[in-house]
Amino acid sequence: MSALHETVARPPPGTPPIVLFKGICKYFPGVIANQGIDLEVRSGEIHALLGENGAGKSTLMNILTGIYQPDAGEIIVDGYAKTFASPVDAIAAGIGMVHQHFKLVHAFTVAENIHLGWPQTPVRISAKALEARTAELAAALNLAVKPDARVEDLSTGEQQRVEILRVLARQARLLILDEPTAVLTPSEARELFKALREFVSRGNAVVFISHKLDEVMEISDRISVLRGGRKVATEETCDCSQKSLAKMMVGHEIVLNDLRGRAAGATSVSPETVLSLREVSTHDDLGNVALSGVSLDIRAGEILGIAGVAGNGQKELSQVMTGMRPVTSGRIEVGGASFTAADAEQFAAFGVGHIPEDRLHSGLAPALSVTDNAVMREYKKAPVSIGNWFRPRAATALAETIAAAASVAVPDFAMPVRNLSGGNQQRLVARREMRIAGKVLIAAYPSRGLDVGAINTMMRYFVELRDAGVGVVLISEELEELLNLSDRVAVMFHGKIMGIVDGTSTDIEEIGLLMGGRQTTNAPLQSAVH
Amino acid sequence: MAVRFQYFPSPQPAVALLARGLAIVLALVCAGLVLGASGASPIMLGLRVIQSTFGSSFGLQDVGLLVTPLILTGLSVAVALKIGAWNIGAEGQFYAGAFAATGIGLFIPGPTVVILPLMFVGGALGGLVWILILTLARAYAGVSELITTLLLNFVGILLAYYVSTGPWLDPGGHALGATARVRHSVPEIWGDVHWGFPLAILLTLLVAGALNFTRWGYEVRLAGSNAQAALYAGIPFRRHLITVMLLSGSIAGIAGMLELAGTVHRLQGGISNNFGYLGIMVAVLARGSALGVLAGAALMAVILNSGIILQTQGLNTSTVLAITGLILFFTAIGDELAHYRIVPVESKK
Repeated sequence: MSALHETVARPPPGTPPIVLFKGICKYFPGVIANQGIDLEVRSGEIHALLGENGAGKSTLMNILTGIYQPDAGEIIVDGYAKTFASPVDAIAAGIGMVHQHFKLVHAFTVAENIHLGWPQTPVRISAKALEARTAELAAALNLAVKPDARVEDLSTGEQQRVEILRVLARQARLLILDEPTAVLTPSEARELFKALREFVSRGNAVVFISHKLDEVMEISDRISVLRGGRKVATEETCDCSQKSLAKMMVGHEIVLNDLRGRAAGATSVSPETVLSLREVSTHDDLGNVALSGVSLDIRAGEILGIAGVAGNGQKELSQVMTGMRPVTSGRIEVGGASFTAADAEQFAAFGVGHIPEDRLHSGLAPALSVTDNAVMREYKKAPVSIGNWFRPRAATALAETIAAAASVAVPDFAMPVRNLSGGNQQRLVARREMRIAGKVLIAAYPSRGLDVGAINTMMRYFVELRDAGVGVVLISEELEELLNLSDRVAVMFHGKIMGIVDGTSTDIEEIGLLMGGRQTTNAPLQSAVH
Repeated sequence: MAVRFQYFPSPQPAVALLARGLAIVLALVCAGLVLGASGASPIMLGLRVIQSTFGSSFGLQDVGLLVTPLILTGLSVAVALKIGAWNIGAEGQFYAGAFAATGIGLFIPGPTVVILPLMFVGGALGGLVWILILTLARAYAGVSELITTLLLNFVGILLAYYVSTGPWLDPGGHALGATARVRHSVPEIWGDVHWGFPLAILLTLLVAGALNFTRWGYEVRLAGSNAQAALYAGIPFRRHLITVMLLSGSIAGIAGMLELAGTVHRLQGGISNNFGYLGIMVAVLARGSALGVLAGAALMAVILNSGIILQTQGLNTSTVLAITGLILFFTAIGDELAHYRIVPVESKK
């Protein structure tokens, strides 16, 4: 790998590891989160914890930081067995965690956040003095922050630095980062990596939780892979490849491939626009501007990717494109007709399918049966309904068809749909939506929570639709997934489309810059907005 | 081999049913122990209760009279639950229905054939009006129906007290604190049991059928289970919320009308006998299922009737309240425990 690794100070032999896990078990209702995990984190290393969603990474770290108590096993810190009743105990022992969702007080300044709940904070102190202390700490730890800025005014990358500074200021020797790059642009991520290297070179350690193979390969010294709550292996990073890691993560070899190419008989991208947005603006649930002046054209037979850090208006975009959220200004046209004021029913009736971002909250009624959920889109039509009558048997028959197409094994169609696994729920929703998506499919984060195998199946669904002449909008945080599939990729930032780049002629770096809100001059923009 | 209890998201139906049976038995055992400790013979009392309830047609008739309003108030609460609303106000709507029916029966002249159906409609409308404003408040302003329905109960109860002791007080002086007898009454079908009993069952079957076999029912179940999913599927949640809550109020109003025109015949304070509140228990025992209301109401009627019998044995009526409370308590525990299954612990390597 890089020269960075050679600068690492190796501890003298015989030094106990900073943290040693011995046979940690943790059970949740219906789930084995951790089972018999043995793991050691040595000083001076960046230890990556790799695994799919739900593999048990976060649970293990929450046990280490005292948020959860293990059901079995012990934690040994610097050679002594410890139990942490709360994160306060953990930080006192030098273990601090930066969570995926930051735990900062938005209305407070950086200095106030750093000193909040810290025994070393003087009881009476002026704002100026607090800021001066913060500046000192920041300089000593080489983390650039603005002490007097309010947290709500900071970018996510800056907020993360505040979180890290808060942990390090409390003399943490082990810093745990839970998917720290999920909210960062590529250049912000590089700065973070530099700071982490410096931190471990002073004999400290970092546990780096991620499910991104490339960055794990780049940053870590050793990698532990979890799968289904168990540890699969711990390896030196130099002995690993992305392929071998992916194999350990999912249990079988995976193929990342370019799905942009069309088969011989497939429809090519049609010049006809099926769905178009013109200068569309809308608010989110709290009344803040979520979309401002978005213009997009979706053509039949193409996959249009929407890239961007989550929370930049993607959810609202998918909602206005399916009639779930009214627009405050602008026009929406579907199939040449005005749909600006149409509701979800009219969109669905035209042939707009929608795989929503949060299937349990909007795509499904968790307490209702599998059958009731499967027929949600077609219950008004024969055979499920005849006139005003609903026919439970016909509904179950349709549900069986959908489940079979989704290859989901359902033991009992009358059982609540929440009893199905997350992946099976997602597949069921996808198949249900594909049936009505005669013209357009809006898929928001369809691969979230799925394992690699299920993601590949899902991607093949989209290709199938595209080849049948359906316009597919794929909203995702995974650039690789977008570039594998999309004919064009639109990048969103703060409710705006920063640019639309061609799926064939771009690399991740350019999109990353647009994701960070930077308008590049050399990016091959097809249609510049604003 | 070591085992442990593990929580599962949905209960096992067989265990849940068994737990419900056990809950009733446990509640009775507890009550028996307390009765035994206070000097009575629980077994003798139990036998007497069983004998007087099921051993004579009078006992069964009494149960039949009690079960009719319980089915309807239970149905009222259960139906509102289908759209995700808690109608704690069946008590008030019961009074409003009885009040409206009394007004029509006392002051509109005409033959029973005309007036009785009019009273029925009036009762339903009374209940509907009682829930109307707070339904709109919930639908358009998000005001919690849990509180507003409860508060209107007191208004309904006091309204009945006021008219029956004030303006509508029986001018003949035959009854103290009650209105004059309403001439028109629901015909009897068996002994004291009137046609309200089969009508209540019919209404329950209709509602259960509508929920399961109509498009409207599907939309209500979906919207009640997840309003966000209803929006997603293009189902008008607000419209269904309003219609279902109004239906719920009407059913409770009908319960009040039937109790007045079938059983009591005069409007008086306390006419509801707490049926509105007991309806909440019936709906909870029925786990919100419309058909389950029939079973829940039957159980509750038997318990209420036992209370009346116990009272003749010189026992306080609160014994019965205690038993119903215990049943609900044990049922709640049983429902929770039915989520657990025994699974073997995997042995470590």
